[in-house]
Amino acid sequence: MTIVYRLKNVVKERLIDGVGFRLMVPDIQISAKENIALIGHSGCGKSTLLDILALISKPDSLDQMSLHPVDGDSHDVAKLWEQDKQSMLSQIRKQHIGYVLQSGGLLPYLTVRENIELPRKLLNLPDDDSIKSISRVLGIDRQLDKLPGLLSAGERQRASFARALSHRPSILIADEPTAALDPITAQKIMAVVMEVIRGLNITLITASHDWAGVYKMELRTLKQESEVIEDGNVYQSRFCD
Amino acid sequence: MAQISSIVRLSFRDYSHEWRMSGCFILALASVLAPMMILFGLKFGIVSTMLDQLIENPTNREIKPVGSGRYNDAWIDRFRERADVEFIIPKTRALAATIQLKSDTANRILSTELLATAKGDPLLSRSSSFPEGYDQVILSQSAAKKLNVDLGDEIDGSLARQFQGKRERVHLPIKVIDIADVGVTSRNVAFVNLDLLIASELFKDGRAVKDLSWGGDSEASTERIYPSFRLYARSIYDVEKLVNDLEKEGAKIKANVAEIATVQSIDQNLTVIFWIIACVGAIGFSFSLGASLWANVDRKRKELSVLRLVGFKSGRIVMFPVLQSFYTAILGWLLAVLVYLGFEHLINFFLAPRLNLDRALCFLLTEHFLWALGLTVVVAIFAAILGGARAAGIEPSEGLREI
Repeated sequence: MTIVYRLKNVVKERLIDGVGFRLMVPDIQISAKENIALIGHSGCGKSTLLDILALISKPDSLDQMSLHPVDGDSHDVAKLWEQDKQSMLSQIRKQHIGYVLQSGGLLPYLTVRENIELPRKLLNLPDDDSIKSISRVLGIDRQLDKLPGLLSAGERQRASFARALSHRPSILIADEPTAALDPITAQKIMAVVMEVIRGLNITLITASHDWAGVYKMELRTLKQESEVIEDGNVYQSRFCD
Repeated sequence: MAQISSIVRLSFRDYSHEWRMSGCFILALASVLAPMMILFGLKFGIVSTMLDQLIENPTNREIKPVGSGRYNDAWIDRFRERADVEFIIPKTRALAATIQLKSDTANRILSTELLATAKGDPLLSRSSSFPEGYDQVILSQSAAKKLNVDLGDEIDGSLARQFQGKRERVHLPIKVIDIADVGVTSRNVAFVNLDLLIASELFKDGRAVKDLSWGGDSEASTERIYPSFRLYARSIYDVEKLVNDLEKEGAKIKANVAEIATVQSIDQNLTVIFWIIACVGAIGFSFSLGASLWANVDRKRKELSVLRLVGFKSGRIVMFPVLQSFYTAILGWLLAVLVYLGFEHLINFFLAPRLNLDRALCFLLTEHFLWALGLTVVVAIFAAILGGARAAGIEPSEGLREI
């Protein structure tokens, strides 16, 4: 089975004068077709770990971090960060990763359609009916020509998923995508998303709380434990397989 | 390439989507730039032309010999060749340089001073034609009034002398080819060709003038000597050196040295003042524009981070605020130009007639508009690059989590 992510001793700190937060990842492997849920209370570093996995946050130290998308080459991410190859990192991100922000992150000046098209345009992908079909599946095909400001919170998150999936990435990262929604809407949206990623063979990595229980059988949860160390100055959070 | 065209498109979409905010930036830019342009328009219009009038005023540039000297044609020619001399023409003895003029439309005979003139005479800078031969004259305003003549009228000029114990008078018809402006002189002056002036002197000396069939002793073959001349320096800044050079050659000179010093110091002080205003204005404008655009980039951090998340490279991201600042610079400049042109029109058409000025009070040259555009664009892009580089320099994850 293909290993998509391999992380060893990855550390990200937010310390001011030795006081603050430290994220530790001693050893994680994520394989293709596996779906991961990061479960934990607020402030335990879920978003930080997702940002590291999405290649938009540079770890402060790491022994190993590699990424091997099922539809692409293997990349030594640790080395790319070390050599500050930002263009390469954004190239990998653009091609293989879809990211859904908690707040949607749609560009307010583009219509929903243009937002969804953007990742495809950047990859010079042809205009086919993939925008239409993904919007139909996610139930936003009638909102395509509106600006995001006119959409409800639920519709915005659906559009955000559509944008993250439009260029057919093999990895979908979602940071508490339904936190701002009511439980019923949240469950509806996640039901659709789970169906889509099953159909497209996508690795989902998400941070979540409430609805995760519903898909317990399909999501592997990473263990999270935290402790206060260094005379109470550092709050350290560890994620393990 | 796909990224660059996408960034151009996206930056414009964002700019027009936020039209209220963009409008505020454009307005803010124009409201600083337009008054600066009006200030410079006024400096350029009224102050510069007034100063030019002072500097250009021929009476300030005139250099007069005191008493009489001995100057021959070669000497006059030598000075005429100099780059710092605009105009030089000899004078004959004052006593011989008068003529009696009579017109059909006035009943008095006017004794008029004769002054030689020629093309390029700064005193008559508005005249398009100059007297040729013996029968043309440009009259001073006061002489023309007293003779009650107009352009193109024919008058009678006469010269008298005591010759061999008899009183003689010769007449010649003269055509008025121009009338000088009031400002040229308040005296009764007939500006004529140097030949007529010389003829008048010869006649009064009892010599013959063949061209005019005036009898008398034969013309002396010795070279002509003039007692005086009229000289105008190229600019008031040339007067001092010319006076020194003339005095070295033994001429006694009178020039408006004190007035020239005043005009020079006004010129220099005003230039300094305007440079100070220009520099302070440009610096203030740069900071105000730079600060507002820089703040705008900061405001856009989240959206810029989203663009990076979607896969735009950091270098391309900087283009986003740079392009938007460029739009603001161009549109703000355009608005400022429109406001300026409106005010220029108001000032020139409503204020200028009240001040009895025949020239524009306020105007700018095309190059001034381009300078303003250049400064605006450079400052705008510089500020945006600073702000954009900061936005692109932080981790994309930082900007995303901002509220």
